[in-house]
Amino acid sequence: MGSYAQPPARLVYRLSFTILLVVGLACISFRGYSQIPDSLLPYNALKKLSLEELMNIDVVSVSRHPEKLDGAASAIQVITQNDIRRSGAKTLPEALRLAPNLQVAQVNSSQWAISARGFNNVLANKLLVLIDGRTVYTPLYAGVFWDVQNLVLEDIDRIEVVSGPGGALWGANAVNGVINIITKSSKSTKGLFAEAATGTALPVLGSLRYGGQFSDKLSYRVYGTGFQLGNTLLAKDTKANDKWPMIQGGFRLDWDASAKDKFSLQSNVYGGKPNPDGGDTAVKANGDNIVARWDHKSSEKSDFRVQAYYDHTLRDFGNGFTEDLKTWDVEWQDRHELGLRHVFTYGLDLRVMDHKVTNLELFAFLPGHKTLYLYSGFAQDEMMLIRDRLRLTIGAKVEHNSYTGFEYQPDARLTWTPAKNQAIWGAVSRAVRTPARIDRDFYLYILPGLPLISGSEKFRSEDMLAYEAGWRIRPQTNLQFSVSAFYNVYDNIRSAEPGPPPLNIPITFGNGVKGNTYGVELSATSQLTSWWSLRGGYTFLRKDLSVKPGSNDQNKGSAESDDPEHQFLLQSNMDLPGRIEFGTVVRYVGKLPNPRVPDYTGWDVRIGWKITRAVELDLVGQDLLNSSHAEFIPSSPSSRQIEHSLYGKIICRL
Amino acid sequence: MRYVFVTLLLIINLPLVAQAPLSREYELKAVFLYNFAQFVEWPPTAFSNSEAPLIIGVIGKNPFGTRLKDIVSGEKVNGHDVSVQYYDNAEDIGTCHILFINLPEAKKREQVLQLLKDRNILTVSDAPGFPAEGGMIRLFTRDNKIRFEVNLEVSRAAGLSISSKLLRLADLFTPSKNS
Repeated sequence: MGSYAQPPARLVYRLSFTILLVVGLACISFRGYSQIPDSLLPYNALKKLSLEELMNIDVVSVSRHPEKLDGAASAIQVITQNDIRRSGAKTLPEALRLAPNLQVAQVNSSQWAISARGFNNVLANKLLVLIDGRTVYTPLYAGVFWDVQNLVLEDIDRIEVVSGPGGALWGANAVNGVINIITKSSKSTKGLFAEAATGTALPVLGSLRYGGQFSDKLSYRVYGTGFQLGNTLLAKDTKANDKWPMIQGGFRLDWDASAKDKFSLQSNVYGGKPNPDGGDTAVKANGDNIVARWDHKSSEKSDFRVQAYYDHTLRDFGNGFTEDLKTWDVEWQDRHELGLRHVFTYGLDLRVMDHKVTNLELFAFLPGHKTLYLYSGFAQDEMMLIRDRLRLTIGAKVEHNSYTGFEYQPDARLTWTPAKNQAIWGAVSRAVRTPARIDRDFYLYILPGLPLISGSEKFRSEDMLAYEAGWRIRPQTNLQFSVSAFYNVYDNIRSAEPGPPPLNIPITFGNGVKGNTYGVELSATSQLTSWWSLRGGYTFLRKDLSVKPGSNDQNKGSAESDDPEHQFLLQSNMDLPGRIEFGTVVRYVGKLPNPRVPDYTGWDVRIGWKITRAVELDLVGQDLLNSSHAEFIPSSPSSRQIEHSLYGKIICRL
Repeated sequence: MRYVFVTLLLIINLPLVAQAPLSREYELKAVFLYNFAQFVEWPPTAFSNSEAPLIIGVIGKNPFGTRLKDIVSGEKVNGHDVSVQYYDNAEDIGTCHILFINLPEAKKREQVLQLLKDRNILTVSDAPGFPAEGGMIRLFTRDNKIRFEVNLEVSRAAGLSISSKLLRLADLFTPSKNS
């Protein structure tokens, strides 16, 4: 327990206390707003909102991006701020559960397994995640440390989730999907926002944000947030000691320099102590990042974007092993409409990753310090074959990385728009997952000099060829429905190959697994009445992997992944009389085959009560149908039970 | 999994029987008009007495249906009841505090503005060039949200004081950026 008395935890409490105090004072001093008779009619709810909240209400409420959703030739689903807020999600991964085309499983208090179209694992490596254009990626295992991807959820504008390959645009790692998390411009976060929460799985959470403007063209926001997530269970009535405290702060500036030029600058600093193993010493995860972006609109028909970011993340595992990663990235993207038929998009990206680890005697990445260079270029032509009816998009990315040299990721997409309200699309694309340090440079020793696992120079990129088709229709303005089907052919997926006899060590990583996956993703969004909306979806996934001739994969072709065949989600959002919002999320996740995890149905409920224009009270119950259950069984640490939980939150917006 | 499909079918079919939603845009704009009443200070002479109602007027085609009336009914702003009036001609405008101008022709809008020039009326419209024409507040849509632009010079000249709380959220119109 000693580790929890250390600074971050104490800071969290102190910060939260301060926030509670500020929220309390602010709310008390705010002149209470006169009460109005209740009515089911929505305008009565609307007039209770503060101006700032009014300015966040969508004019077209079904979808924020009608054109994009109708026209996009990919399986894109969007989670809006409204969906997140009404779901009662308390962390970013919980918000991602609202995308029915993602596999999201909580492993313990701080760890998550998240993937699209399968291959899910704590170390999942086929999904690309961006937060405001910044790729959050560790070259340690080509995946995401979810415990350092935190945001004040209120500041998220939307999350776009594309299942399916995005390699031609986004590059390596976007094999099975891309998650694009987009935060609000500081133009729309003016004023004070404060929240304080406490509950069973969330002992404390507090956030404070203030936004304003220096001039009508230059706006800003600054924020601080902190939380502590509670313990999960090792077994019934046995706490796992994996409490997770975290603090983070940052700012964002948006400058509309002219009608043609927009600049933004944002930065975050964080420190947290996740403890997935539940040991005496927690992991210390600290970092900071800064992103600068320039959007220039040369004319109605051409524009470009230049973006640069720096990301530093430091992770001390508490046992002597540390990871220190500095990423510098510059990218440029240009778009030109040529005549009525062509839209050309092309760009360049340069990334340098300075990756440094402090090794242990028996656990090492060699060399300990390695600088990885990634440079790439992409080009895409969107051709209107038949005006307003048939569109063909052809693109490719050429990328050079430090391990395998050049990689090519081409992509062709055809969209037929038989009517304004629907689109039918098909696509063929190739995507690769390039080696990470774990594939090439990792050594685990039984005794010094005697490796059990040894990195292999021979490990090359994993390949995928994807065939996709989809149909998206908006039969009425208040209803949208989409279905997509995919057939993915994989080759050179990672295998664990035994070494020479008699001991069969060292085990090395090979490319000995191939196979295919296929599935269907359905989703629907519907505004039933002005006060009730529903969204949901169903995902079917079948995985058929096998060991290639010549390989002796120790994982027997599992690709270390564990995915449900069926997944179902239904979110209902209601505005009830008395300025009450009632939201429920029901999600069904089918059984995971190996390691076996039983299927479960999660049921979350949020009741939000707007007491005055400035003050809101939330009561959220999560996973109410189960007292506790496991969502994923990792190879290490041992599996945990996630308990049902309850929390209350007070929110103040001034 | 049969139930999943049945449920999905339900989701798809339900809206066919449910009523279509109202135009959210003008519902929201009506709420904004009501909100403006609370963040603008009129000179005392704008009200004949402390009990006199605050009047929100609409000239041109009424885009709000009964919504604006529904919203302000039973409301008080600084002790004044709020009422709504509809005008066909600018000459009909008697006592009025906020005027929503829904005239598609710029010429007609300018005529109305010219006529109201020396009166303490907050003029609002969603016509694109409204602030440049001498209007006070333009409502518009950006990124699917309602935004507003304020021409402070004109509102000050009319003796209206707009709260900084409102201005903080506004785009400010400056005559130099006529684009």
